[in-house]
Amino acid sequence: MLLKSLYSSERFLKIIFGLSLFIVLVMGGMSYQLIRKLSKSFEDVQHTYQVHIELEKLLSALKDAESGKRAFIISNDSTFLEPLLNSESELEGSLERLKFLTKNNPEQQKNIAELKIKIDKNLEIFEKTLDLAQSNKIDSPEFISSFKEGRQTMNSVRFKIMDMTTHENQELGLRKEKSSKTLSNAPMFLYYVLIISLLILLLTYLQISKNLKILKEKNELLETFKESTTQSEIISKHGNWIWHVEDNTFEFSDNLYRLLGEEPQSFEPTLENFIAFAHPDDLDKLTEQVNKMMENEDLPFIHYRIVQKNGTIKHFKAYGKVLIDSDGHRKLLGTTADITDEIENYRLIEERNLELERNNKELASFNYVASHDLQEPLRKIQTFISRLEDKEQANLSDNGKVYIGRIKSSSARMRSLIDDLLQFSRTNKSEEAFEDSNINILLETAKHDLAEIISDKRARISSDSIPSMKVIPFQIKQLFLNLISNSLKYSRENVAPVITISYSQTHIDDLPKVKYSKHNRYHTISVKDNGIGFEQEYAEQIFTLFSRLHNKNEYSGTGIGLSICKKIVDNHHGYITAESKPNQGSTFTVYLPITN
Amino acid sequence: MKIFIKFDFTRICTKVIDEKLMELGIKYRMLNFGEIEFLEEVPADKLEAFDAILKEYGVEKIENQKVILVQKIKDTIIDMVLNANDNINVKSSVYLSEKLGHSYGYLSNVFSEVTYTSVENFIILQRIEHAKSLMINTDLSLTEIAYRLQYSSVAHLSTQFKNTTGITPTTFQRIITKRRELNTNKT
Amino acid sequence: MREDYTYVVLADDDEDDRLFFTEAFEELKMKTKVDIYKDGVDLMNALNQSDSVLPNILFLDLNMPMKSGLECLKEIKDNQRFKDIAIAIYSTSASEEDIEDTFVNGANIYIKKPNNFNNLKKILSDVVTMNWQYHTSGLNKDNFLLRL
Repeated sequence: MLLKSLYSSERFLKIIFGLSLFIVLVMGGMSYQLIRKLSKSFEDVQHTYQVHIELEKLLSALKDAESGKRAFIISNDSTFLEPLLNSESELEGSLERLKFLTKNNPEQQKNIAELKIKIDKNLEIFEKTLDLAQSNKIDSPEFISSFKEGRQTMNSVRFKIMDMTTHENQELGLRKEKSSKTLSNAPMFLYYVLIISLLILLLTYLQISKNLKILKEKNELLETFKESTTQSEIISKHGNWIWHVEDNTFEFSDNLYRLLGEEPQSFEPTLENFIAFAHPDDLDKLTEQVNKMMENEDLPFIHYRIVQKNGTIKHFKAYGKVLIDSDGHRKLLGTTADITDEIENYRLIEERNLELERNNKELASFNYVASHDLQEPLRKIQTFISRLEDKEQANLSDNGKVYIGRIKSSSARMRSLIDDLLQFSRTNKSEEAFEDSNINILLETAKHDLAEIISDKRARISSDSIPSMKVIPFQIKQLFLNLISNSLKYSRENVAPVITISYSQTHIDDLPKVKYSKHNRYHTISVKDNGIGFEQEYAEQIFTLFSRLHNKNEYSGTGIGLSICKKIVDNHHGYITAESKPNQGSTFTVYLPITN
Repeated sequence: MKIFIKFDFTRICTKVIDEKLMELGIKYRMLNFGEIEFLEEVPADKLEAFDAILKEYGVEKIENQKVILVQKIKDTIIDMVLNANDNINVKSSVYLSEKLGHSYGYLSNVFSEVTYTSVENFIILQRIEHAKSLMINTDLSLTEIAYRLQYSSVAHLSTQFKNTTGITPTTFQRIITKRRELNTNKT
Repeated sequence: MREDYTYVVLADDDEDDRLFFTEAFEELKMKTKVDIYKDGVDLMNALNQSDSVLPNILFLDLNMPMKSGLECLKEIKDNQRFKDIAIAIYSTSASEEDIEDTFVNGANIYIKKPNNFNNLKKILSDVVTMNWQYHTSGLNKDNFLLRL
């Protein structure tokens, strides 16, 4: 967009420049024409004046001759006749000059010819009268008539000269009129042209100043960009370089030097100087890659190590791509990044992963040991005890029977511990295990598993209908199983357990102790019993692993059951709470998010 | 000198029966150990010869009216389960004694004596098997199956299913589906 | 018309478990014949004899050296000759994965070894009876799944 406007403004400037040049040329040509016309009209005036002067000279020469003649006649002094001789040659010269001056004017030539005849006649008369005067025949009628005739011709010469002058003046007037027409239009035109060119100049100036402003802004932008590039180079530990393909020269950014552990621009940016830093083990590889780069004019991601002068080894990653600029020059723009930290972190993470993996494996094998190897001997002990009880009962002393009984209960306890621990470690979360489940069926199954104890204790269990939910089915079943068996286990002596399972929905705001949740509403399932209960202060403690509120001789808990409940509810992104009063029963409430 | 030998009675008996029946030219099929099906009508004289020969080896043909009655009971129960819709509200004990013309007590005793299981168990087993085949072969939901087989609720069916097989109906369905996938992958 | 005689085979590497198993069947006094193999390799060798008599029910311990119960199960299921044998997994572990995995691979029965001899007797008797039921009542053996 900007580039395009710049380009068009450049063209615009070229056009303006051409236009201005043309206008100046036109103005110059016109001025030349004008000046030529002016000098021509000046010449014309001068010419007219010259003609006037010549005519005046002619007339005055005639007059001089006349007055000399008259003075000679009066004084009879022959010295008065001297100018007469001069004027004759002068007349001749003047006529010649007039002829030359008016050579382009046929009318004036004609007039000159007539004038010459008249002057010749006048001179003839003049000589005649002069002869008469020299022979003192002044009073003779011939003289008087010649004298009169002389005056007449003199007058006609005068008239002729006056004619010629008028003609010349008329000619001048005509020319003046003609030139003044063009001359009076010319300044106006020149003025307009000047104004136009001034306008064009102004426009050009505006455009140039606008372009300059854009250029300045761009320059500033470039400057900022350069600054931020430098900054980002430092922060992200990378350096830029350019390879000018045609000249085979390099440019390195300041930070590239820093990455090498050197002062910016402290050495010539050449390939050799750079490769000198390569780690000896990576030298061949890097050289090969650089050669490939030169060949293909492309640099895919490459990795190598360099050694700084202080011996520090750094891991570099480089990438480059050819850019062809507007002049058609090929430049390979390259980026080299210091990925030492990344690699270190990666190595660390990998190490930790391995450790975690090892731990997980150990845990898994522990699980296996617990589920299989630990159970096996225990199972055999129990089976052998049952054999002893069945077959050898009669051979045992009373003490022996008691001991057998103790072994039996101990191994039973160990079994429940192992089973519960296993249950706990198997209660894991896996997303794919979630499925839409009929919670009522899960509850039924749990009740079914406990059918024996339920009927033994004459317990009554009532439950609401619960909508189906997306859960891990066997875990929810386990949850019910643990909660119900908990209620059955901690029932009051001689009081038949009554367990009420109810369902409702709770808004997040009404959920105790929950600050933030991405779910708004929660399924709320509560299991209420009429058992021995506990002090409310233990309401949180009971969910931690191995925590028991009672002596194991009184109640047979392992302290794992409720921890499993907590883990299951956690797996379902829910919450579990307990509320109780000693001897008044407890209520366990499970909140599970309502998802769509 | 004393040596010890081990007998495989199953093999010996199977071999003897096979040989003798071949000798008599009787076509047969060994359904299971102790159960032989003649593939064509066997004349009375051949049957007698067969009895006589086998007696030498201590093998005897069981001809027991009780076994036949048990088979009748079974057939009746299977028919009852398959057509559950037709005899709603009739107790199975009443149905059986009416159909077979014996008191339920008698039938039940004979059945237990021969099969080592009770009539009730047999009925449950049959119903669960029918439920299984409906689960596998139809698109019916558990609720619909429970209704068809006259269970009071899905929970009741699930509980009885779990009681009988040790697994839940859903697990059963999942296992069968996976098993089929495995078999199609194999072939 | 027939003798109710069930041929039962167990493959288990544990001596005590083999003892419990045989003793249980002895005490049950059902008409059964019991053969015992001490591991999976022995069992498969015996079964693969072309003239071997095939058991009605085969009990497989899962955790056996050299050839595990699951491997035996897969081998047996791949052989058409063994298609009528009911397979009972007989294991200490009762992890859901093991159970489902063996069922999917064709096991019919999954037994978690009980910790009481009388329970063992009850379970084994149930298995034989149930197998008997399937056999005599013409039930679909493909649907025979039992967890005890």
